[in-house]
Amino acid sequence: MSFLELDSLTKSYGSLTVVKEVNLSVEKGKLVCLLGPSGCGKTTTLRLVAGFVPANAGEIRVGGNTISSAHSTVPPEGRNMSMIFQSYALWPHMTVFENVAYGLKLRRLANTDVTKSVRTILSATQLLALENRYPGELSGGQQQRVSLARALVIKPEILLLDEPLSNLDANLREEMRFEIRRLHDEFRYTTVYVTHDQAEAMTTADIIVVMNDGRIEQAGSPEDIYERPETEFVARFIGGTNILSGTRRDSDDVVCEGGLVLRCGSGTAATTGKTAVSIRHHDIELSATKPRNSDTNVVLGTVTRQIYLGSHRDYLVSIAGGETVRTVAPVNVAIPVGQEVWLHFPPEKCRALAQ
Amino acid sequence: MIMTSNVQVQGRRRGIDLSWPTFALLTLVLSVLVLLPLFWLAFYSFRSDTGGGVTFDNFIALVADPTLVRAYGLAIGMALAVGLLSCLVATPMAWLVARTDLPGRRMIRMLVTASFVTPPFLGAIAYEILAAPNSGIVNIIYRYLFRLDSSAYLVNIYTFTGLIFAIACFTFPYVFTLVANALDKVPSDLEDASSILGGKAMTTLRKVTIPLVLPAMLAGTLIAILQALTMFGSPAILALPAGFHVITTKIWSLFQFPPRLGLAAAAALPLLIITVILLRAQKSILGRKGYTVLGGKSGTPRITELGPWKWVAIAFVFCVLSLTILLPYLAILKTAFTGTVGDPINLSTLTLRHWKFVLFEFSATQLALRNTFLLGFLTATAVTAIALIVSYLVTRRSVPGSGFLGLLATAPVAIPGIVLGVGLFLSYANPTFQLYGTIWILLIAFMTIELPAGYQQMSSAFSGVHPELEEAGRIMGASRLRTLWDITAPLLRTSVVAAWCFVFVGTIRELSATILLTTANTKLVSVIIYDLNESGDLGAICVLGMILLAASFAVVFVANRVPVLGGSQMNARG
Amino acid sequence: MWKKALSAALFATGLAASPAAWAEAPEPYQITPELEAAAKAEGKVVFYTATDVAVAEKLAEHFKTKYPEISVQVERAGSERVFQRIGQEYSTGIYNADVIETSDAVHFEYFKREGWLEPMVPQEVADKWPADERDPDGNFAAYRAHLSVMAYRTDLMQEADAPKTWEDLLDPRFKDKMVKAHPGYSGTVMTSTFVLSQLLGWEYFEKLGKQNIMQVQSSTEPPKKLAQGERALEIDGNEYNVFRLIDEGKPIKIIYPEQGTPLAVGNAAVLKQAPNPNAAKLFYAFLFSADAQQLNSDFGGLRSFHPDVKEKAGRTPLAQIKILHSDPAKLEPEIPTIKSNYEKYFGT
Repeated sequence: MSFLELDSLTKSYGSLTVVKEVNLSVEKGKLVCLLGPSGCGKTTTLRLVAGFVPANAGEIRVGGNTISSAHSTVPPEGRNMSMIFQSYALWPHMTVFENVAYGLKLRRLANTDVTKSVRTILSATQLLALENRYPGELSGGQQQRVSLARALVIKPEILLLDEPLSNLDANLREEMRFEIRRLHDEFRYTTVYVTHDQAEAMTTADIIVVMNDGRIEQAGSPEDIYERPETEFVARFIGGTNILSGTRRDSDDVVCEGGLVLRCGSGTAATTGKTAVSIRHHDIELSATKPRNSDTNVVLGTVTRQIYLGSHRDYLVSIAGGETVRTVAPVNVAIPVGQEVWLHFPPEKCRALAQ
Repeated sequence: MIMTSNVQVQGRRRGIDLSWPTFALLTLVLSVLVLLPLFWLAFYSFRSDTGGGVTFDNFIALVADPTLVRAYGLAIGMALAVGLLSCLVATPMAWLVARTDLPGRRMIRMLVTASFVTPPFLGAIAYEILAAPNSGIVNIIYRYLFRLDSSAYLVNIYTFTGLIFAIACFTFPYVFTLVANALDKVPSDLEDASSILGGKAMTTLRKVTIPLVLPAMLAGTLIAILQALTMFGSPAILALPAGFHVITTKIWSLFQFPPRLGLAAAAALPLLIITVILLRAQKSILGRKGYTVLGGKSGTPRITELGPWKWVAIAFVFCVLSLTILLPYLAILKTAFTGTVGDPINLSTLTLRHWKFVLFEFSATQLALRNTFLLGFLTATAVTAIALIVSYLVTRRSVPGSGFLGLLATAPVAIPGIVLGVGLFLSYANPTFQLYGTIWILLIAFMTIELPAGYQQMSSAFSGVHPELEEAGRIMGASRLRTLWDITAPLLRTSVVAAWCFVFVGTIRELSATILLTTANTKLVSVIIYDLNESGDLGAICVLGMILLAASFAVVFVANRVPVLGGSQMNARG
Repeated sequence: MWKKALSAALFATGLAASPAAWAEAPEPYQITPELEAAAKAEGKVVFYTATDVAVAEKLAEHFKTKYPEISVQVERAGSERVFQRIGQEYSTGIYNADVIETSDAVHFEYFKREGWLEPMVPQEVADKWPADERDPDGNFAAYRAHLSVMAYRTDLMQEADAPKTWEDLLDPRFKDKMVKAHPGYSGTVMTSTFVLSQLLGWEYFEKLGKQNIMQVQSSTEPPKKLAQGERALEIDGNEYNVFRLIDEGKPIKIIYPEQGTPLAVGNAAVLKQAPNPNAAKLFYAFLFSADAQQLNSDFGGLRSFHPDVKEKAGRTPLAQIKILHSDPAKLEPEIPTIKSNYEKYFGT
């Protein structure tokens, strides 16, 4: 049995259902990232786990105990979780020390224990020198660390993070990603992390859960999600990709419009109707001449845009059937706009997607 | 050590969520406060005063009884004139204070705000002292200066225009404050844009600045009209001697024994409807899209240099402040310390006789002071507490349907004091409740009257506190109430204290509803001032007025200065 | 002297009660030590009165010098306001007042009819009061009387210019100069409006209404407006307030027109539901004592029915004044008409 379980969890506001029968299991000590575009229901899912919103149907269980169901909701304060908010939510009328100590004081710890625990976590987050400052006197990164310290100090059963890095500038954000992963490796709290940034998810997560329109599209390790997307949405959302649509011919082949036949090394095509093939930008081979020994997975196109990016060149090529394919090529492959060009889609890189 | 603390930390804490019971209780309380009087008002308006039964006679009287029609006509005319006058005086003054290099601008703002604290009925009495046609100080000086005979006078406050003037003195701060705040917030780049396009200073003012503050002007004027329409004290003091009723005094006169409750209820209903219409108009004006520049923070407002016009401006502002604050206060001061109003001021006329009378001889004083401050304290505390919880529930939407609670808390703003007085009398002055004659009926009245103001202040304060600050407290393990106490309350402290003061000051000067609900044991200072005015004891009134004013200013001062209440070290986001 | 004349005058109008009715009143009572002790135990008496607040407070003070253990709460308002308040309170079951006093005789007929009064007769009233100045059933007795008078500022108006008759007031030269009280508020003015409307007809008031009169509420107020110099002439208002102002040295003179001056009799009574019944009984007896009545006369300028009260020198004896009496029984049904006619002619 997993530690945290979401079972057919559903939340609606009036006629609008924002979380639709979500099922998810998280093992103890794992960091799960809920990833998706804004409005996909990931934040609502997190708030359901936190207990800020009651569920309409389904259940949330922690260690086998139901904490949310359609009938009852354990209030947030009864869940022994902690959370890091997008705004950090540091209490402006309390010092850094008081902010961090608050959760411990609620648990009626002796003062000496409080001081000890707070000092320990403040040194782990390099904040000890700032303990008497008010939040208003701290930089964004420092505030972020106070927020982390405050959440970690109470030794929560589950740690929740709601887009914790979105208010930081780019450099700090990258640094904090690794910091969060480091702290997770150190404390091993079961963690649910909400973000819309795939790089953040890749860096920090044990498991990435891609959400779209209130549903889980796919859950798996970062490698799974990137290498083996199961839906067109996941393929598009994680890393750049080209999606070509067509119909299935036999077990491995998909025929696209304009006659291009793509043999797919992985994935499953839809047996009837339209199906799709995904191939990453950098997996397409581009050449001025037709590659030999290739009957399938080869097509002639016209360069419509070519941009020099220093490390590589970025191409847009329009192919028969009217579709446009994006690809990259080494700097020395320089084909001017308007010229014809051959594209090769290696079968082992083509992934058939049923939806 | 670490182990034991771990055990405690791991223990999952459960508590009872009080938000539903609180919500239910508040909904019940507010419904009773607001809806019950309105229900009885409607019920009685269909009852015959002569012998029970359902009747439309009361409503027919509304259009057929010439005294009622005249009272409504005069009241509406008076209110419109007050609105216009307030707007004409307050707008230029607000512009001078907000947008020019007029000296002493902060001081002027403070003085205008101070005039909020003055009870309007006290202002009206001050104007009796100043501008009664014969005994008024202004007229005495006028006759003395020009050696005129005793029948000559310069001003007469006991007229329709006199009444308009006396009320406008009290209502112009509404327009002033709204317009000045709007001018503060009109981003100067809007004006700069006009200048760059070649607009001259006056053109910019006319084409850009004024249209931008027009909504504030209109909104303020509507509030002034509303205040004038529903005011009881000033008309009772100035209109009755002049020989006419406005609607509030007319409704009051219907309570003379034997009371005509049904007619009073019916006569109150149009006042309620007009108020609702005016408030809706005000809301739609302020709420129009594209007009709101509130929140624009681009640069400091541009300041116009007055140059030689400075002296004209100073004269204008001084004139307004003298008429609205300086002269009335001086008149009250003088009357409190001299024998009778007409006496000249010299050593032989100075006397503490009125003070002695009020403080030691007049048996009603102590009771009234005690009642007034007790009710002020109770009302302010109760309203602030209710407003705090209601705005919490509403702004945090923690309970479905909490919006309704907000609506209930705002609704009394549409109920004029005298109408509420009628409604509460009908609701509670019966053998079932037996609240009439106790201070509780007054507490109910004051709570209902002050709730919208308290709620408005608290909910805007709440929207300044990010909900995540509270959620952080909850997820850390604090219950809803604990979070409210530990986190929200300290962050709202300044607003809470401000709201408390506001309600307190509003309560101790209330007269419109009080006049119908007070009895011997529930005398209030405002009522004994009114009673004393009927028997012409101006000296005693001025003494009581000074006590009332001193208490109001003391409360405001204490709230602003004592660090525990108002001061704070928070300079942070939140 | 004038009291004799007063009783004679009242007798002549046929208002005297029949001796038979008197027999129904309870036995007169005296202030006994037991009563005093019981009253002291209650410690408080609430007095609803329409007498001028300074006079009423003075009386209360005097009571307190006798009985320092008993505090007197004076609730002063115009007669009609007192009446309205008692009406509201009793009809909603609130019993705050112990002793009540207004200058409108109609009220006491009403209270008696409603059964709100506790019959009792202080010994002093039984011994010394003219029979026609007390309720035959002992519910109330005439605590005071006063005239509603015309008066003017001698510094603002020559004696020759002053009005001599009620009709003189219609002269344009008095326009803007007059002040009067309101019958909806003042029992005295209700009475005087009633008798004058009978004497002169409503056309008189219709014309008077066009004289731009300053309208105040209580009949204590016109004399005060005279004192302030706000108006030169009052056309109704309490005689006793004018006396007090003259005593203070204000240049005011009273006019007693030949046609007569309206008289208002102020009754007092103890309420049946008095919260402090013993203190009420004691205070009620005190109200009619020679002491209190003399104080009313000296300090308050009120006319008294107590034969031992000495009238201050310089005041016109009642015997020399033609008095216009009103019959409360006839006045009562006329009240709505008087109010509505008044509002028609005077605006409020």
